[in-house]
Amino acid sequence: MESKKNSKASKSLKPEVFREEMSYSLILSFMILLTNYLGSFLVPIAVFMLYFFLYFLPNFLEISNFIAIFTEIEPLMALLTMPLVLIVCYLIRLYFIALITRVIWAYTESKSPSKNGIIPRNIKSKTEKFYHIRSFLMKYPKNMFVKGLFPWLSNWLYNYIGSMVIGKGTSFEESVGNEKFAIVGKNCYIGVNSTLATHLIDGVWGNISYFQIQVGDNITIAGSNQIAPGTMIHSNSYLLPLASATKHSVVKGDHHYYFGIPLRKIFDKKVMNYLGLTPEDLEQNKISLENIEVMKKPNKENKKIKKKQEKKEVDSTQLKLNEQINEIEYENVDYNLDFTTSSAISRINIKFLAVYLPIFWISGLQVAVLFYTYTFFVKNLIMFTFFLPFILFVLYFIFILGCFLYSKLFLILVNLLHKPKEGTFLAEIGDTDYEFWMLRTELKKIVLWLMRNCPIPWADVLAFKWFGIKMDFSSYLYDAWCDGEFLYLGRKVVVGQGATLMSSMVIGKYLVISKIFLDDYALIGGHSTIAPGTIVGRDTMIGAISTTTYNQILEPGFIYIGIPAIKLKPNKYAESRRDIIVKKDVDKEIKFDIQHEVNIEEDKKEKL
Amino acid sequence: MSVPAYLKAGPFTSNVLVKKKYLIFYLFQIWISIFVIQFEFWWYWNLLYYNKFIHFIIFLPLLIFVIYISLLFVSLFFTKILLIIVNLFHKPREGVFLRTPSNKDYRYWSIRNTIKKWPAWIAHKFPLPFLDNICFKLFGVKTQFSNSLFEGWVDTEFIEFGKNVVVGQASVIQSAVIIGNLFIIRKTIIEDNVRIGAHSVVMPGTHMKKDSVLAASSLTTVGQELEEGWVYLGAPAKKYKRDVFFEDGLEEIIAEQEHDIEELRKKYKELYTRRKDKQV
Repeated sequence: MESKKNSKASKSLKPEVFREEMSYSLILSFMILLTNYLGSFLVPIAVFMLYFFLYFLPNFLEISNFIAIFTEIEPLMALLTMPLVLIVCYLIRLYFIALITRVIWAYTESKSPSKNGIIPRNIKSKTEKFYHIRSFLMKYPKNMFVKGLFPWLSNWLYNYIGSMVIGKGTSFEESVGNEKFAIVGKNCYIGVNSTLATHLIDGVWGNISYFQIQVGDNITIAGSNQIAPGTMIHSNSYLLPLASATKHSVVKGDHHYYFGIPLRKIFDKKVMNYLGLTPEDLEQNKISLENIEVMKKPNKENKKIKKKQEKKEVDSTQLKLNEQINEIEYENVDYNLDFTTSSAISRINIKFLAVYLPIFWISGLQVAVLFYTYTFFVKNLIMFTFFLPFILFVLYFIFILGCFLYSKLFLILVNLLHKPKEGTFLAEIGDTDYEFWMLRTELKKIVLWLMRNCPIPWADVLAFKWFGIKMDFSSYLYDAWCDGEFLYLGRKVVVGQGATLMSSMVIGKYLVISKIFLDDYALIGGHSTIAPGTIVGRDTMIGAISTTTYNQILEPGFIYIGIPAIKLKPNKYAESRRDIIVKKDVDKEIKFDIQHEVNIEEDKKEKL
Repeated sequence: MSVPAYLKAGPFTSNVLVKKKYLIFYLFQIWISIFVIQFEFWWYWNLLYYNKFIHFIIFLPLLIFVIYISLLFVSLFFTKILLIIVNLFHKPREGVFLRTPSNKDYRYWSIRNTIKKWPAWIAHKFPLPFLDNICFKLFGVKTQFSNSLFEGWVDTEFIEFGKNVVVGQASVIQSAVIIGNLFIIRKTIIEDNVRIGAHSVVMPGTHMKKDSVLAASSLTTVGQELEEGWVYLGAPAKKYKRDVFFEDGLEEIIAEQEHDIEELRKKYKELYTRRKDKQV
């Protein structure tokens, strides 16, 4: 099987394409991260240590009588203020992260300002270098804010750093993108997993499209929408879920609804059908301007606006549609597995704690012992506080290393009991393959989870390699949902943001396990789904929001797109022209070409 | 198996904050539930720190785990109380509302989300899916421990799950959606053995009956009913074929499969309505 896949994928390719090896300055990135991580820790940890040693320790921890905690004033104060001090320290840390990022951001902007244009990916240039530094720079603060305790502060973060301009009353849900080079107006709602992708990579050797996205006032993007670079969305446009814009789309707005991949305007009748609304509801929707004023001064006046109460009945057109479909007869029973579902059986019973607890205990023990040695040797309180952030950083990774080691031990044991294999199994308790698959999944999950939640999430390649997946450090998949086994990645594979790689899939009561094979220089678009058994050839690209089917083979050197992914054209991005972009007017359904300057220094232009 | 480094996924609580003062609820919850850490740590410190320091070190990792679990349960307790009080003032209800701060339903939806955020955040800080399920149950979502709701975004109210449901990676199960200035809440019901594909969106009011499948990258409409034992596909989801994969003895048929993708595309084309742009 393996050799067959190899031979199929390694046919081709044109070697004459101009390729300059890209190299990210890893050390520089690591230095930036450490500055941000350690620098932001200094003040809050000093505040906390002062409070802890001078007030909390003598007044609370060393009180031996439990009743006295409540009866005496000082222990009680210590008890009540401790959570507040924790929250304040946390907020101070967030502020310092933002501050340090802002300083570095301003420095990179002064060296090479971010501007619209296509950045060639196969030519080394200053623009490309600073683009990558800026992308890297934003990762840590974004992770800390969006995944942290106060996700509401992220709007402030982007405005403060200057990476994005966000108006008042706008709220963002969590998403993989949405961090730089966009202008968002007032009173918008950007739904869950919707991405304002201001930068897109066309092929591993191709271009980076880096264009500003402009979003007007009072816009809703309902959820799972992908908005490509250069898109302009004018005020009062409403995007239904999954509506996605191609590059340089112009959406007119003006109280229209948009839907589909790629998005298009739909009429009120369809909107009512899709959303179960009445004409009155749509009328209500149009009074948006008043609403914005209402936002500013939420007074008693606006109680005049009537509230809708009735529960909606199923629309008659919807019923008609259903009837029509019912009429179509399906004669043959179709056993083809030509649709894709998911592999997310992540159930853990309480009994898995029997595996988790020892792993955590032993790896935690290492950390505790090391921390004890630290406290033993560094007695000076000031020195102790000063080096604490660094020690915490190191200890965290020692903890993860411990988990690596012990979960691998368990894994070897589990694999000795039952060898993992591809095939089709019953997804029911009682099937050995299924149960062992779950056990393996859960064992790998802790380490992958810890790796992805640590300050260096892109080091998760280590974890994947540790669990026996063939890949190297030139590939990225830290922003993807990814199964931890039966996966092969070649050199410089880029897995897009929010993509899903599944080597297993639940179909009905069956569990299908089949190996995914991504050859060298393959590129998986953002938010696309790769089904088990997919073979992606060398230099092949899969567009965003595409889906492959079970055991699909994608030939080398082509661009695939769609649901299911079909062959679109040869992958020639490295040779294509970079000074022409195609603009698209969504409402009038027309496309036109526009000349645009390539975003690279003058002296590098002859290489194009 | 692994969630992207940028995302939390899991129980979905919206970031919409209609008024800043709702944060008081949030801060209060954090404040009051941290006490439990202090008490446990105080007990542990007094028990072992001065007498048996070696024991102090050895059992510290275990204590941290216990602290984590107890923190979750304490915060859930206070959240439940707050939720009951808030729901006394205004009962959550279905319907189409206006997305303005003057609308009571919208405001209270925001309050409920803010209140639920803290326990949901703690429960999802650690890869133990049953903690998520406990959260869902206490928020009033009918669900079973056999469901995997860990890798998609699932709303925390007005949802009912059967057993053995698989919610795919990056799929969104909503009971409330914001479109324009409208804000729609409808109850979503998902019955036994339903499989929801990766990257698909289930809109409010969807009723997925037993054994039905929503394929990857699909979207249901508000109030759509998915019939028992059918595969649905497309945006908006349409009937694709019968879900025959609950039959016995299909292992070999599934194992040897290859598709003609061009043919398949033609089949899909009707389901995913597409359109060509006029070239100028």
